[in-house]
Amino acid sequence: MLSPERLALPDYEYLAQRHVLTYMEDAVCQLLENREDISQYGIARFFTEYFNSVCQGTHILFREFSFVQATPHNRVSFLRAFWRCFRTVGKNGDLLTMKEYHCLLQLLCPDFPLELTQKAARIVLMDDAMDCLMSFSDFLFAFQIQFYYSEFLDSVAAIYEDLLSGKNPNTVIVPTSSSGQHRQRPALGEAGMLEGVEASLFYQCLENLCDRHKYSCPPPALVKEALSNVQRLTFYGFLMALSKHHGINQALGALPDKGDLMHDPAMDEELERLVVRSKLHRTSRQHRAKEPGAFGFQRREKQEALERVSSASVPTPYHYRWEPRE
Amino acid sequence: MIPGKYRSVSGRAANNVEFKLNKDTSSFPGRLLQHDLERNYSSRQGDHINLVSSSLSSFPILQRSSEEKILYSDRLSLERQKLTVCPIINGEDHLRLLNFQHNFITRIQNISNLQKLISLDLYDNQIEEISGLSTLRCLRVLLLGKNRIKKISNLENLKSLDVLDLHGNQITKIENINHLCELRVLNLARNFLSHVDNLNGLDSLTELNLRHNQITFVRDVDNLPCLQHLFLSFNNISSFDSVSCLADSSSLSDITFDGNPIAQESWYKHTVLQNMMQLRQLDMKRITEEERRMASVLAKKEEEKKRESHKQSLLKEKKRLTINNVARQWDLQQQRVANIATNEDRKDSDSAQDPCQIDGSTLSAFPEETGPLDSGLNNALQGLSVIDTYLVEVDGDTLSLYGSGALESLDRNWSVQTAGMITTVSFTFIEFDEIVHVLPKLKIKFPNSLHLKFKETNLVMLQQFNALAQLRRVDQLTIDPQGNPVVNFTLWKYYVLFRLSHFSMQKINGTEVTQNDMIMAERLFGILAHVASSELPQYRLISILGDARKKQFRYLLESKGKKPGIINEENNDSKRLVGENTNRATLNYTTRDFYNEKLEEIKEKKKFCKTYIEDLVKEATEINMKNEALQKLWPQMFIELVRDAVIEIRNKNSYMKLCLQQITDQK
Repeated sequence: MLSPERLALPDYEYLAQRHVLTYMEDAVCQLLENREDISQYGIARFFTEYFNSVCQGTHILFREFSFVQATPHNRVSFLRAFWRCFRTVGKNGDLLTMKEYHCLLQLLCPDFPLELTQKAARIVLMDDAMDCLMSFSDFLFAFQIQFYYSEFLDSVAAIYEDLLSGKNPNTVIVPTSSSGQHRQRPALGEAGMLEGVEASLFYQCLENLCDRHKYSCPPPALVKEALSNVQRLTFYGFLMALSKHHGINQALGALPDKGDLMHDPAMDEELERLVVRSKLHRTSRQHRAKEPGAFGFQRREKQEALERVSSASVPTPYHYRWEPRE
Repeated sequence: MIPGKYRSVSGRAANNVEFKLNKDTSSFPGRLLQHDLERNYSSRQGDHINLVSSSLSSFPILQRSSEEKILYSDRLSLERQKLTVCPIINGEDHLRLLNFQHNFITRIQNISNLQKLISLDLYDNQIEEISGLSTLRCLRVLLLGKNRIKKISNLENLKSLDVLDLHGNQITKIENINHLCELRVLNLARNFLSHVDNLNGLDSLTELNLRHNQITFVRDVDNLPCLQHLFLSFNNISSFDSVSCLADSSSLSDITFDGNPIAQESWYKHTVLQNMMQLRQLDMKRITEEERRMASVLAKKEEEKKRESHKQSLLKEKKRLTINNVARQWDLQQQRVANIATNEDRKDSDSAQDPCQIDGSTLSAFPEETGPLDSGLNNALQGLSVIDTYLVEVDGDTLSLYGSGALESLDRNWSVQTAGMITTVSFTFIEFDEIVHVLPKLKIKFPNSLHLKFKETNLVMLQQFNALAQLRRVDQLTIDPQGNPVVNFTLWKYYVLFRLSHFSMQKINGTEVTQNDMIMAERLFGILAHVASSELPQYRLISILGDARKKQFRYLLESKGKKPGIINEENNDSKRLVGENTNRATLNYTTRDFYNEKLEEIKEKKKFCKTYIEDLVKEATEINMKNEALQKLWPQMFIELVRDAVIEIRNKNSYMKLCLQQITDQK
């Protein structure tokens, strides 16, 4: 923790890099918003809760998009939350349209922009018919790339356009890059005939991009790996490759591997409990109108369930515990 | 011979031949022209006639014995003489009655010299055209029944005509009789007439027989000042309107409609009686007072019914127009929104939306109906100069609202009875976001509304269903695919069941909700609920749930369980809600406008926070800097301090003096 690099950074830069200020500002803002409620149980408690939730990744739930997007950690938390909440949809095997995924996103973030979802969908569908159905895992991984690296991808798109049209951004902007200089731009005729751009050239530009800019970009080594098999690639082909690459997914750390995407034993257990509870609730409701005596045992059970839930759902100030502990 | 019906009193009364020519119509018994005419009234046998064919002309020449000539000087009967042409009749120029019945005559000829002729009977011949009568200025009775006449013509000079019988011919049109101002009886039965008009000028006509034609409408009868008997049996009259001129004829007293389609109608008798108060006989039966009374009563009832249905159709039309108007406004609004959206999208380089597609999909298919309205209806509608932009309709147990203006009607004072009966509320052409705002009102004013229907309400997100959770109870939900894109989503029903599970809905869009559906819904979205409730920090839980729920929580916080004794509805409600609903309660829907408003409000706070934190950071960094600087300088400073102190104390005596000095100075 007390590494020399860390101490070498001037204060302000260090804070900015870790986005500490973002969270501080947001915390104070939330405090102002909910003054009356928080004053009940103390400011110290509030801050504890707040930063706890930041650590756990639940701070982004139902927050506005500008906050969700603000820091990489937020983005990762959001992706993870989306995965956990809607993994069951994927498990069910339903194929949904882009609009429907967008709806699901909006359930967690009410003003999530449609653009981003559209871009993510384009990656999956390779810029083809936008009304196509997509599977949960395809969409999720594509969305991860699009959302987490959105700024990076914008720049990459620009680079790609330039390369397509024959300009080599390297020769213009970064004269020190040796390999870039000697590479002649491909003859226009050649670019026209073959699809996309040459992989190695593309990679060079990306490398420079990563060096130049501060915002997060995928580890260059992994990008190189993704590009290693191909000679030429299209923009969406590249993005698709990124989204499918296990290494990048792991580097991000938000989502489990593709194979494990549907597995979450803790949540599944919880889900079963919920399902059973709802079943009980429904049958007892149906029987409620009829003889209460004969089904006394059921009602009692329901009462217990009710009590359990009601007491559990209202965390009293100093007993912050959920009865069914996850 | 001339049938007794046509006898008149005049000049000579020979044997049993009389010839009446007075205008007194009452001497005519009941029916006039029937197939009675076809009856073989015995012609006087004994007309010794010799028909001698002359070599001079093709026509036979008639000769009578002078005996006969003296006996029957004014009449001549050539009945059944197998005549194919009219013979030349010489020396009988004072003939008054001429009978050619039952022959095969094809043309009327050779009688122009008989200028004193009063009655000419050509019944049952093969005459195809009326001609050769132009000199018979005294003719009063012309019987041309059962011939092959196709057209009424060449009667110009027969101004004294009293009886004209053209029954059993092939006449298709009434014409060329307008000058017959002395005509009393006109028989056009068994012809091919399809309508009756062109009767003006027949100022003396008392009887008109039109039986067995194909008449569909009758006109001009009110121009016949003397018409008393009108026979329209066995025609094609189906409504009273087609014979409406009869109502204006004050002279008519006897009419027959039997054999017409109109006579089969239920309203036939009283309609005729009501419209023709002057009638004494209908279909050959006398009209009694009782019948007249009944007729007027029934007619009044009909009038009532018509007025009522007119009113109803007026109302319906107004409703339809209003709904059309609302629909049009809705479409315009949607297009406007779509245009704005596409404009924004065009600014982005990434959008691939096709604007035409949007326009096409938002235009609802509303055919411009300009169906046949009654003229009366049209006139009434001209008065509706301002067509409403919304419509509120209560129909038994359904409250229907069209157009966003209708939402205000929920504020009205609804009678408890009416409001209590409403079980279904239907919203059409209203933005869902607007409906969200009035849902609390709905809950209070219409407590029994269990079925909600939404059509053309712009439901686009699953989130919007969260808003329905605040209602007391919903048994059925119908979301019409028209105008509600959300229905296209695969999972929308499950989401509704999940979010509104505490309602235990019975039906969605008409299909029953099964246990499996509920379980599936829970399975799909249960984790969302769990995350939404258990993983949110408390302060967020509370702030999201809002005031009402806050109170619930406080109540429960304080009591830590159920407080017995305090049972009011709200607590029951809240208890129930809390028990069933908490883990979903955080899933709320704020309409877009409200949300943006809230974000705007927060901006100020955010700015303040930013500056505050910046200040804190500055302070902290300053302190940090100072601390670091101190850290760096401290060793040096410490050494200097020690050095100074040592230097000071080196000389004990001078140090002691210095200290004392300092102490005295201090005083």
